[in-house]
Amino acid sequence: MIGDGRTVALVARDGGIDWLCLPNLDSPSVFAALLDADRGGRFELCPDVPFEVQRRYVPGTNVLETTFVTESGIVRVTDAMTLPGIGLAPIRELARRIEGLAGRVPMRWRVEPRFGYASAATRFESRGAMAVALSGGDAVTICAWDAGRPTSEEGAIAGRFDIVDGGRAMLALVSAHGEPLVFPPRRDVETRLDATTAFWGDWSAQLRYAGPWHPAVVRSALALKLLVFAPSGAIAAAATTSLPEGIGGERNWDYRYCWIRDSSFTLEALLQLGCHAEATSFFWWFMHATRLTLPRLQVFYRLDGGTYAPERTLPLDGYRRSRPVRIGNGAAGQVQLDTYGELLDSAFVYARKGYSLGAGTGRDLARVADFVCEHWREPDAGIWEVRAAPRHHTQSKAMCWVALDRAARLADAGHLPAARAPHWRAEAAAIRHFIDTHCWSTAKDSYVGFAGDEGLDASLLLMAIMRYDEPDSPRLRGTVKAIQRELSHGPLLYRYTGDDGLAGGEGAFLCCSFWLVEALAIAGRREEATDLMNELVAMANDVGLYAEEIEPVSGEFLGNFPQALVHLALVSAAVSMAPTSS
Amino acid sequence: MNIGAALLGGFIGTVVLTTALTAASELRVTRMDIPFLLGTAWTQDRTRARVLGYAFHFVAGLIFALGYYAAFVGLGRAGWLLGMAIGLVHGLFAGTTLVNVLLPAVHPRMGTPYSAANDTPLLEPPGFLLLNYGRATPVVTVLAHVVYGGIIGALVAPGGS
Repeated sequence: MIGDGRTVALVARDGGIDWLCLPNLDSPSVFAALLDADRGGRFELCPDVPFEVQRRYVPGTNVLETTFVTESGIVRVTDAMTLPGIGLAPIRELARRIEGLAGRVPMRWRVEPRFGYASAATRFESRGAMAVALSGGDAVTICAWDAGRPTSEEGAIAGRFDIVDGGRAMLALVSAHGEPLVFPPRRDVETRLDATTAFWGDWSAQLRYAGPWHPAVVRSALALKLLVFAPSGAIAAAATTSLPEGIGGERNWDYRYCWIRDSSFTLEALLQLGCHAEATSFFWWFMHATRLTLPRLQVFYRLDGGTYAPERTLPLDGYRRSRPVRIGNGAAGQVQLDTYGELLDSAFVYARKGYSLGAGTGRDLARVADFVCEHWREPDAGIWEVRAAPRHHTQSKAMCWVALDRAARLADAGHLPAARAPHWRAEAAAIRHFIDTHCWSTAKDSYVGFAGDEGLDASLLLMAIMRYDEPDSPRLRGTVKAIQRELSHGPLLYRYTGDDGLAGGEGAFLCCSFWLVEALAIAGRREEATDLMNELVAMANDVGLYAEEIEPVSGEFLGNFPQALVHLALVSAAVSMAPTSS
Repeated sequence: MNIGAALLGGFIGTVVLTTALTAASELRVTRMDIPFLLGTAWTQDRTRARVLGYAFHFVAGLIFALGYYAAFVGLGRAGWLLGMAIGLVHGLFAGTTLVNVLLPAVHPRMGTPYSAANDTPLLEPPGFLLLNYGRATPVVTVLAHVVYGGIIGALVAPGGS
């Protein structure tokens, strides 16, 4: 994954860019071969002879290096989405530097832009020597230096060239949206690429983490930074839509939105790593975005703060024929009571670091707490957004308790009106009584997924992480053991047992495994937690990224990629076991 | 027509406009909050930002009233209907250019479509027609400006004040 804080591109192992939305991460795609290999559009760049591939990020950066080894020579491609600040930069610019490292390698490249998720008409025109692809207010072009003469082929712009030892070529994909295209000079592109590499190196060097999983934590932080939509500060749950949770299945969702669920994890992770500017930006966005619906919360918000995200399907084949391909997300209309706990916990985490919430925000949060008092007795769709009938999910109730606990503690600290605190504490006690009475199974010695059932749910691990009870609480210890017993498959955990209203199955949910690491650490089982963490860190892909799920037998990634919640859980677990953590 | 009436109209019109937008915000129709947007250009403190923003908005309301007055003089007539027509143009200009393009360009804490990973703005940009702040925002904003223009036009019209 490479990106610039507005959008990201996914680079395949063969050097092809199979996913890119322009101008923003949640805009329609220009390259979507990931979801339709024939019609989606992609940017190929690779040797014209058989090759083997090695990949890595330039250390501490979001600049990707792909090294192709062929019989006739070795060539390295350095990919980045450049950051503005030098010269007249295009609104979005993807730079690909090609360097010959040995011998002579014939190279080919081919850009097939397919605007509007491959459904919009694309025109190809010439601007002097430049070939330009156009669709409505959008345009892209490819600037090539020492990379062969760009020629228009059927539905594509392509070129070929040879690169020799010590040779250097450059390709730059530039785009425009509602404004004229900028044709940058090579010197500017080269300078921006170098400056972008330097920026990421400086940014990651400031991260505060000194534990044993430093490379994984830094890579996670860099991935999360790419999922932050810089114009607003919102963080997308993932960079993609409709990568399936089961190959050939229907569990294909659009994750290019900002979930309230991720908020407290995001704030905590940013603050733990010393990213105070990003944390403040996120909190401001968060409080501003939710104003339209407060005290009621929508499950997620668009990256621009909007609430409108109707779900529809696209006429694409889907990843390995996993259909439907969806954009928008129908979960927007669900009731998920856990979100209130996550909002109040975010505010609590933020205030605990010494930041002021302000009187207006304090009043808004007090209204949210009052709303929780009125509505916690209702069933909901739960953290996993199940599309079955609403239930009394234990984790949702626990997060309502978290909401009122944090509201009362914020009131004690003077951030929220103090007069309501006794009422919030009384309702929190009532929630605890409900959970302990209706959501506990003596037979399993564990809390259960929802009231009146015996099934387990890995989200119950969050009760330990959110300090629903003391770390040595017998009930929480019993719950952790029961989840390990019934939901685990080696180091991995399934989310839950039972019906969720959808056909087909899914893989193991990676964030749950990292939650288990943290829950074990909280319970004092640090050796076990360390072993599990080591196993999980080894499961990242070749450049340290994680998808939402993993197929336990094959180890294949499933679901959207890369998944913010997994990387957030990794950071949280690593920090919880850092030498200074207790 | 006299300039004092225009300034009085600008003052009353700004009170009405600000009140209408604040009410719309409290009613969860929009997240548009002009004093907050303006005030945060100077301070990160939310309360102080609103106070500064209100003051700046009133000054801007008076300056714009002078523009309305100039338009009335240039056209050789004034009235609430003409004021509302100018207010319509003013509202559309605010939604498409003034707040959408110019404010993010000069606001040190507001994001723009050009904000990238090397930038951490605190305020989301309003977007075209201010739609990022809620789907009803353009309607509320334009209507508030139409009322603002109507008030100035009514007061500047002969016999209006």
